[in-house]
Amino acid sequence: MTLILNGDTGLSDVDGSASTPAISGTDANTGIYFPGADRIGFAEGGVQCGEFDASGNLKFNSGYGSVATAYGCRAWVNFNGTSTVAIRASGNVTSITDNGTGDYTVNFTSAMPDVNYSVVGVTGGWGSAYNYATVNVGAGATPTTSAVRIATRTAGTFNDEVAVCVSVFR
Amino acid sequence: MPSIINSDDGVVSGSSGLKTTGGNDGITNFQQNGTTQATITAAGLFQFNSGYGSVATAYGCRAWVNFNGTSTVAIRASGNVTSITDNGTGDYTVNFTTAMPDANYGVTGSCMRPDRVQNNIFGPISTLSTTSVRIQSKNDGGAADDSPEVSVAIFR
Repeated sequence: MTLILNGDTGLSDVDGSASTPAISGTDANTGIYFPGADRIGFAEGGVQCGEFDASGNLKFNSGYGSVATAYGCRAWVNFNGTSTVAIRASGNVTSITDNGTGDYTVNFTSAMPDVNYSVVGVTGGWGSAYNYATVNVGAGATPTTSAVRIATRTAGTFNDEVAVCVSVFR
Repeated sequence: MPSIINSDDGVVSGSSGLKTTGGNDGITNFQQNGTTQATITAAGLFQFNSGYGSVATAYGCRAWVNFNGTSTVAIRASGNVTSITDNGTGDYTVNFTTAMPDANYGVTGSCMRPDRVQNNIFGPISTLSTTSVRIQSKNDGGAADDSPEVSVAIFR
């Protein structure tokens, strides 16, 4: 094994392993290694704890029991759907359009790669009323790459809700 | 196939490895065969592919739990959830091991009844706090109802 140090391409030609990573600190069995073609591995205590596989999938353990692919939550929002709609916090959501009572459009900052993403959501009334509604995806409009329209209903009736949380996976 | 640790701007053609861009932009890329498959941006955003089609920011599930909400409440499995408080019929508090940075996180979850007698619905029922979230399970008739299968996930 020849270690190459080059001013343009960097340090190369050491693949390492989980027990002896190619890049480590003073703890010799914890670091980054290269388990195969187009793969980048991460090790702790000589055991693999994460990887980018050859297809670009991120794999990690985090109590799962083994290193497995994790899929990303690509957008989420927590907003107040009553009166003037107001986002409390969000990720990759630029705005909420208020289409009417219990009828909202969640607009993404960066578009999804297609319209086949998964959407989940819940609502909460908060306070003594303890009211909440189901979140219906679509609300008469097919999801698009740039937005998803949702409805909040109580017993089949459109109803504005104090807390609406929506998450998108892809 | 060489493995590269590189601190130069530009793609490391045909290589797999870790690349920090030159200058002070603070971007770290993980490359496979010359293609960036994940990035940690200067703002600390973690971007990866995992079948998305390109490298894009992914937001973390910061806590999750699957518990039996009937009789003596019992957690089956969880992440960053230390306990479930049983407040009464269909009324639970999910307590976080490590607190959230603020109370504006996103909540999602579901309740179900495997017997299919009724469909339970789910919702947070009080203002969110950094250390816990209170949720409720109701049946089709709108009455509070214990559920044997409750799942909650927190995003932030």
